[in-house]
Amino acid sequence: MELTIWTYEGPPHVGAMRVATGMKDLHYVLHAPQGDTYADLLFTMIERRDHRPPVTYTTFQAQDLGGDTAGLVKEATQAAYERFRPQALLVGASCTAELIQDDPGNLAGSLGLPVPVIPLELPAYQRKENWGASETFYQIVRTLCLPHAPPPTWRRPPPEGRRPVCNLLGPTALGFRHRDDIREVSSLLDRMGVDVGVVAPLGASPADVARLGEADFNVVLYPEVGRTAASWLKRTFKQPMVETVPIGVGATRDFVREVAGVAGLDADGALEAVTTRLPWYSRSVDSNYLTDKRVFVFGDATHAVAAARVASEEMGFKVVGLGAYNREFAREVRAAARKLGVEPLITDDYLEVEEAIQEAAPELVLGTQMERHIAKRLGTFCAVISAPVHVEDFPARYSPQMGPEGANVLFDTWVHPLMMGLEEHLLGMFQDDFEFGNDRSPSHLAAARPSSTNGRAAEAPPESEDLGKEGATVAASTPAAPDGAAPEAGEARATSTSAPTPAGTELVWDDEAQAELRKIPFFVRKKARRNTEAFARQQGLTEISVETLYEAKAHFGSR
Amino acid sequence: MSTNGALPVVPPVRGKDQVGKDETGDGEGSLQVHMDVPEETQGAMILAIYGKGGIGKSTTSSNLSAALALKGKRVLQVGCDPKHDSTFTLTRTMIPTVIDTLAEVDFHAEELRPEDFVHEGYAGVMCVETGGPPAGTGCGGYVVGQTVKLLKQHHLLEDTDVVIFDVLGDVVCGGFAAPLQHAERAFIVTANDFDSIFAMNRIVAAIKAKSKNYKVRVGGVIANRSNATDQVDRFTSRVGLDTLQVVPDLDVIRRSRLSKCTLFEMEGDSPELEAARNAYLALADAVLAKPGGQDVSPLGDAEIFNLLGFD
Repeated sequence: MELTIWTYEGPPHVGAMRVATGMKDLHYVLHAPQGDTYADLLFTMIERRDHRPPVTYTTFQAQDLGGDTAGLVKEATQAAYERFRPQALLVGASCTAELIQDDPGNLAGSLGLPVPVIPLELPAYQRKENWGASETFYQIVRTLCLPHAPPPTWRRPPPEGRRPVCNLLGPTALGFRHRDDIREVSSLLDRMGVDVGVVAPLGASPADVARLGEADFNVVLYPEVGRTAASWLKRTFKQPMVETVPIGVGATRDFVREVAGVAGLDADGALEAVTTRLPWYSRSVDSNYLTDKRVFVFGDATHAVAAARVASEEMGFKVVGLGAYNREFAREVRAAARKLGVEPLITDDYLEVEEAIQEAAPELVLGTQMERHIAKRLGTFCAVISAPVHVEDFPARYSPQMGPEGANVLFDTWVHPLMMGLEEHLLGMFQDDFEFGNDRSPSHLAAARPSSTNGRAAEAPPESEDLGKEGATVAASTPAAPDGAAPEAGEARATSTSAPTPAGTELVWDDEAQAELRKIPFFVRKKARRNTEAFARQQGLTEISVETLYEAKAHFGSR
Repeated sequence: MSTNGALPVVPPVRGKDQVGKDETGDGEGSLQVHMDVPEETQGAMILAIYGKGGIGKSTTSSNLSAALALKGKRVLQVGCDPKHDSTFTLTRTMIPTVIDTLAEVDFHAEELRPEDFVHEGYAGVMCVETGGPPAGTGCGGYVVGQTVKLLKQHHLLEDTDVVIFDVLGDVVCGGFAAPLQHAERAFIVTANDFDSIFAMNRIVAAIKAKSKNYKVRVGGVIANRSNATDQVDRFTSRVGLDTLQVVPDLDVIRRSRLSKCTLFEMEGDSPELEAARNAYLALADAVLAKPGGQDVSPLGDAEIFNLLGFD
């Protein structure tokens, strides 16, 4: 265990909360100190859910530690049962409470409540959120389904004279586009002639979970959460499991074939259910203008592997890095990386990821919210493909990752940032054209034209420049200065030339130095500007020339 | 069957899920290998087979596993010997050990999946070989502890009826004793000779020591390769042990090992083979009846020499 300020996954009890919050009529009694209740906010703020998670915290405090914290568990469990009347209870400890070893599962079990009490033992110091979700779902499934288990020698009869039925396993609260994926995959299955029995955990009640065994087979949509339970169902209820995750056109077609095989349907006929706009893109005149764009992929293993496949096989990008933060599925990532000829990166240390991204110098990063931040820092474009998620990953519009529509969404989400990149490139190319000169007004209308020569003086101070607004855009986005204001600015600058090193003084970049600065790649340009100005102030200069720029470079380079 | 019913008695200290360092008093920056506090194991009946080196523990374990499986039990056999050939006659191959498998993933146990270290053998017996540290280094107990942790985290003990630990015979160390922390009964394989009975006496002592803190008890004695049992009987009646099964010295048992299988897979139907099979089927019944369980005290060294030594 190491201390860090940010992690890809929370402790395992957060995984349990994702399962509990996704389900209905289930309640989770969590032995935890008051501070651990912050986790509620993940669900209400980020996912904007309409209710708080169904979690009762025992909220013991420091003074309770001298007393009977175990009694607290029993009281809280009894009270939670009476208040919420759930069909089943989960009982466990948070990472903090695990240390006091009260064994809440057994304590709650001893109350003799009339509903199943499912004890959760989630080793917080060895495992993490996804494992916690997976283990929780497994324990729920096993506890609720075991009473319905057939004898070991039983064989599952094929579905005859009816449509095959499958369960969708793995979606949870706070998952990346889970609710849209469920809708998309369900509608795809429906077009194939397959019905969906139970979707779990998301949206299922304990009573729904108890009838998982009735379906003909299981679809493991999110292996990180659903696979352990699905393989138990396979052993116990002889339900085959479909393991292809239908992200991207190729994988969706593979998924359809696998489902058809398991459900006893004609695969060719079933493939007609997959309609996609990929051919539209492939046939477009400009279809190859993004070919070989360098892409770095990082996320949970399932989404990362799927994204790498889509990027390399469907978009024609060049995958220059591939990794995942969840070790449980490291082998899939390694296999995919081997196929792509890149070194797999298995780590939950975001600093290591940042370093790898810097090293690979990609043009597009496909990652989690953390990679979005990293890409922003590096001035590279990014699309989010995986949890951990942020508010913007719960869009109001229908936006699945899976199935035919998911493939369309991926295309839009990944290609748009690169188009922005092209614009950036064009801006660089044409920034010296007279038409885009900094003294040009932002409009062709005469009224908006600024008072001729001092346009540059009115330019916003360098600090206000942002990525993608260098050169022509800076000029374009600077509001036209009203007459009179510009000369004032010019005067102010003229008076400041008599300087020693006053801090607030504005520094003037001469034209040549400006042009030189623009040659510096945009993601380090800001830093170069900052360093050069710091150097100039230190030297008591107010004007920056090309020489100053290079002296500053030598100065900082030699340190 | 919900899991909120009566659970097996667990020892009061349960530090099982903490990484050793914080709670073991090794001090900052120091990490010693400690015995794992046992994982709480539910459902499965956990047994350990002990005995002097070369006495036939693996043969006994494999044939017992096969017999139990043929009686409809879901059986998991865990070989706890660096020699890792305990389950050889069940799988007909030398399966990779847990330690080999862990080394492949740089000891990130969370990367492992059950199929990496559990291999199905004859009659559906699930087979695991813990392997061991290189000779003269490390700790066999650590290896057993890691294996039990893996089995539990992958839910392999939940859907199993009987788990058999086949323990290494020649080493007396933590590795020797580790299975006793997980097992409810230990069975001792012996022959009708002084050396193996002397070893049995020491094993009884080890079990007695462990039973102070763990639920393990002596289940009984299996007299192997024994046509006569006078010496064994003299010892067992003195200390109050039961002999569950006498397995005669039949050549077909030796030949079954040579043909890389349990007795139940052997070709032919000689009366000798029949007798050998019946011995193990009877042993399976005896084991399932949960025999023994009482506190048994070992003899002092002088006592055992006087009892058996100078005939």
